[in-house]
Amino acid sequence: MKLAASPPNNVSASLEFLLQEIPGLRTKWAGPRRLRVDLPAETLPALLELLKGRAGYVHLSAISCVDWPTQNEFELVYHLWSYELNVLVMAHIRIPRDPGVYLSVYDLYHPAAFFERDIHEMFGLYFEGSPDMGKFILTEWDGPPPMRKEFDSEAWVMNQFEWQDYRPDWLAEIEAKGGGITTRPQDIRKDGKP
Amino acid sequence: MSTLQSIPVVATKAEKPSGGTGNLLANVFDELTAFCRSRSLFMLHYCTGCGAIELPPAMTSRFDMERLGIQPMVTPRQADILLVTGYVSTKTLKRIILTYEQMNSPKYVIGICSCTVNGGMYWQSYATAKVLADYMPVDMYIAGCMPRPEAVISGLRELMANIRAGRSDNWRDYYRRYDHYLGNQQRLFGENWQTPTDVIGEARHYGQFGPETLGEHTALLERHQTPLLPFEMRLGLGGEKTGVENKGDKR
Repeated sequence: MKLAASPPNNVSASLEFLLQEIPGLRTKWAGPRRLRVDLPAETLPALLELLKGRAGYVHLSAISCVDWPTQNEFELVYHLWSYELNVLVMAHIRIPRDPGVYLSVYDLYHPAAFFERDIHEMFGLYFEGSPDMGKFILTEWDGPPPMRKEFDSEAWVMNQFEWQDYRPDWLAEIEAKGGGITTRPQDIRKDGKP
Repeated sequence: MSTLQSIPVVATKAEKPSGGTGNLLANVFDELTAFCRSRSLFMLHYCTGCGAIELPPAMTSRFDMERLGIQPMVTPRQADILLVTGYVSTKTLKRIILTYEQMNSPKYVIGICSCTVNGGMYWQSYATAKVLADYMPVDMYIAGCMPRPEAVISGLRELMANIRAGRSDNWRDYYRRYDHYLGNQQRLFGENWQTPTDVIGEARHYGQFGPETLGEHTALLERHQTPLLPFEMRLGLGGEKTGVENKGDKR
């Protein structure tokens, strides 16, 4: 099925009319078929229920997380797709970084368990009611959540790993002719260790 | 392990060069073995990263590795070469070590791509191991991002020449300096780390036991090691079999 560039007027108007039921909600069309929704965190379950029950939003395609360390907040973005309206809804909420706890939407969308477990592992954000908050991809990891902005991956690597010298013969030949490596690893690395 | 030790074994001693004195045929058998070994290499390609994409052309009709006597093999127990193609994440490294320890000696490890040398473009990543040679002895690095099939084949030919000349015996190093390798593994995986392979027992079995085989890290291993038990074998017919299943259900 080929979609028109933008949804018919009655679709976008009825969607916006439907969303008015949620208090404190702001909408903004980010593209012809992409509707950005900003709303208070406590109203998100109501929004999802509304979209799923009355607008055919059966597909939660992703939950993404953004860390805002200066504002001390996490931003969660719920990407929802309706196969009937063919409009993407991106619901943005902000939650405080401390204590970093939010509600699971597993009861509404089962795939949320996958995304929530991933976000818990990468950002340390806990989802109450999610079926499993155990280790997921980083099974060998016991450090801080690595996708938080304050985690310095490079410093951690410098502390954890060692490097080997790599001086092949062909490089010596090139250097004898006046060539060689222009940027050495220690020029890039912060602490200047070779 | 006691069962391994109970098998009578004559360990091959390191051969002395005949030095032109006496028997011309002294090393003929070793020479023949080395020649045959170098001409029949079975390769287990552990495709961890992007370098694996250069292997299909190297193996198939375009560059045809098989004309050199190198074939892909599907299981570690029947392979000679372990090809690690690309970045090695911490999680993958565990599996690589398990695979390496399952292979029969003599075994050779080739690290393909810059990532196995020093982390490559993933040097900043918290999740990748940087130097493959810290965790297992590497016989040959084929650097590049990624090396072309010509480079892969050139590296394999060099390995063949090394095997032919008897220079490539890094697999002994894993037994002789097991403590060193185990120490690096423990640093990454924690002190509970253990594999089902009894490397120390194998080192004794192959006559490769050295002063650096045991050390503080193997002592740590022994403290945490759960004993390796043989698989429980059950034979049952008809009714007996269902009895076993019921027993399992109760648990």
